[in-house]
Amino acid sequence: MVKLTRARISQLLFLALFLLLFLQTEYRGHDQINAAVNSFFRADPLVLFSYLLAAKSWSWLLLPAVLMTLATLLLGRFFCGWICPLGTLLDLLSPKQRSTRQIPWLAGNLKYWLLLPLLSASLFNLNLAGLLDPIAILLRGLTFFFYPLLGLTAREGWVRLYGLIGEQRDTLAPAYGLLKSYLLPFRETLYPLAFVSALLLILIILLERLETRAWCRHLCPLGTLLGWLGRFSPFKRIPPGLCADCGQCRELCPTSFDQGSLNREECILCMECEQGCPNQRISFRPSWPLQLSEPVLPQRRLLLGGLAGGLLLAVPTRFRAPEKEAGLLRPPGVRNEDDFLKKCVRCGECMKVCLKNALYPAAWQAGLNGIYTPLVIPRLGYCEYNCTLCGQVCPTGAIPNLAVEEKKRQVIGKAVFDKNHCLPFARRIDCIVCEEHCPIPDKAIRSREVQVLGLDGVMKTVKEPYVVEEICNGCGICENVCPVETQAGIKVHVVKNRAPITEPTSGQLGY
Amino acid sequence: MDRRTFIKSAGAATLLAPVLVQELLASSDNALVAVAEGTDYPAITRKAINAVGGMKRYVKAGDVVVVKPNMGWDRSPEFAANSHPLVVRAVVEECLAAGAKKVKVFDHTCNDPRRCYVNSGIEKALKGLKGVECKQIEPERFRMTVLKGQFLKEWELYDEALAANVFINLPVAKHHGLSRLTLGLKNIMGVMGGNRGFTHRNLAVALADVNSHLRSHLTIIDATRILTAHGPQGGNLADVKVLNKVIASADIVAADAYATTLFGLKPADIAVTVAAHKRGLGQMNLDRIKVVKA
Repeated sequence: MVKLTRARISQLLFLALFLLLFLQTEYRGHDQINAAVNSFFRADPLVLFSYLLAAKSWSWLLLPAVLMTLATLLLGRFFCGWICPLGTLLDLLSPKQRSTRQIPWLAGNLKYWLLLPLLSASLFNLNLAGLLDPIAILLRGLTFFFYPLLGLTAREGWVRLYGLIGEQRDTLAPAYGLLKSYLLPFRETLYPLAFVSALLLILIILLERLETRAWCRHLCPLGTLLGWLGRFSPFKRIPPGLCADCGQCRELCPTSFDQGSLNREECILCMECEQGCPNQRISFRPSWPLQLSEPVLPQRRLLLGGLAGGLLLAVPTRFRAPEKEAGLLRPPGVRNEDDFLKKCVRCGECMKVCLKNALYPAAWQAGLNGIYTPLVIPRLGYCEYNCTLCGQVCPTGAIPNLAVEEKKRQVIGKAVFDKNHCLPFARRIDCIVCEEHCPIPDKAIRSREVQVLGLDGVMKTVKEPYVVEEICNGCGICENVCPVETQAGIKVHVVKNRAPITEPTSGQLGY
Repeated sequence: MDRRTFIKSAGAATLLAPVLVQELLASSDNALVAVAEGTDYPAITRKAINAVGGMKRYVKAGDVVVVKPNMGWDRSPEFAANSHPLVVRAVVEECLAAGAKKVKVFDHTCNDPRRCYVNSGIEKALKGLKGVECKQIEPERFRMTVLKGQFLKEWELYDEALAANVFINLPVAKHHGLSRLTLGLKNIMGVMGGNRGFTHRNLAVALADVNSHLRSHLTIIDATRILTAHGPQGGNLADVKVLNKVIASADIVAADAYATTLFGLKPADIAVTVAAHKRGLGQMNLDRIKVVKA
């Protein structure tokens, strides 16, 4: 079924690249990740537009997306037929008997009703575009569901094998080691929203059973945006419609020949029609003067409706329960919550790359407008002192990419002891595992020896810990390693003032 | 002292006497500590080993040897948070030269294992050596082990350490917030699984419990540079003191006791050392330890 046309080869190469970069988005022995899967987001015009509208500022990280926008203006919607990894996946999973008949309830202006409110909400500081961005959907499905599933399956098998043959398993260890270092996740993390992430991806794939590229034609906001940009392209298919004596194109075209003429907005330039034409009549080439078959802007009703929809969406989603606020710890370097929400794509890369799996997608605790944004949950994983990976892979700089010395000084929150749980206070016995693990060279957690009346009524000396708030960066290792079960005796809380700590100061400090 | 307490203590003494005699015999034989000094770390490591009888005394041909360095922290070697890679490599090479079939090097790290193995420099230092494994901990290999200790009745220990013919304890000498110093006896925590922080409630006794079950055949303390404050992970070079020393002993308590003096402390200041000595794991009285300069 898969014929190797030029577009198909390109699609497969980009899918391979996507998967390769996906695997590459992990610590593999080097402090720097040179090429990560963020390249796809940095070249994503939907990310670009929503970022510009929401942040109302420019980031050089998004230069590739500007180039992609220009290329689309020139060539049309080629991204969907040549590059998009989700599109490729859909093509590969498409049933043998392709159905190009439109699903009636998806046809029409629905796609604009998705795209326009998303963009207009961005203008009102609610950047949800990433929720429906096809690459983000694919990445989240992989990161939160399929990749951990692969890892768990492999690990379970490996562990069972140990149960069966014990030390003899070592003969197979090199093979497993190879898998582990190049293919499997280092740690299989369970994420909240894993099921939702997978479900969205699976629904899109199932939609393919009903109509070829249904998602791309009728829903995908990136595709819709690219289609709209592609209207201005001088690069056209000739002839534009079906020939009276043939009509073969209707069978060949995956998207837009159901009405008898080519819908340029939906043409993904796969060029199947050119390849398959029995009479070699078809060609794609620039033609002047530029003729726009449809008006430049969508209907006024749609435009105004979209704008209003965005506004209506933007305001109520900001609600947050105040008691949840204290736990909304953001990745290192994020100083301002509002600014962060405007820039975060919710792509899930930081969570994929996080060395100690400290980052998890917010489900509801950050409000509707914080859904899928990364939160540090120290009890599950802490922020490794010398690691800067999340900033490196963030496609928009929502998490800033900082040098390691600078990152160590960034404040995530401040640790606070809970004396009802902390052992030296609650049970008057020695512990200070938190002080032991505190990575700050001068120790943000210290202890002093005090004489206390033990619970048995005998005076004794106990080391009582305390936090030196000025140099605590909120990495959360203390909360993570606290040996008190369930509720830790120390907890990192959000602080408004996240000015970097002044330690370490001299070049001597650090690692 | 009234009559009752006299009888009690006399009874206790009679019961304990055989143990005490045994301990005296055992420790008088073993309390030999070798100290080598110099800037060529592999060379002083070899000198120290040779001064306590040479590696062949501990490792026989065909043995599986575990070398347990401290590489628990994401710090580079100069910060004295982990055993020096050159010392580790020299010990491993000596094991191989003595005929070891396989030498396994690992630690149950506190920071991310990948970063610790890389930044400690140990993984790289061992690269290319035949018959040497430097694998990260695999959680399924921890085995619940009956210790019948005074504090720990049972605990999860790493099967590779339990199954090895020879266990070589290779800590770096450094400061520790709770136990004041961490040396050979504390380094054994690297083969422990589970909620290790739990042991802090009674650390000295817990470590004596584990060390009585898993004995170190040879203890080599890396004091090429020591961490004098803000341990066990440090991070400030001002806290690091370069001593260019390596200490070796078949008696883990004696090795720890001698290393304590490098920090200007007495062995009795370290509760872990005292607990281990009381348990008969070795000699901590400096008068009864023979220190040889290698």
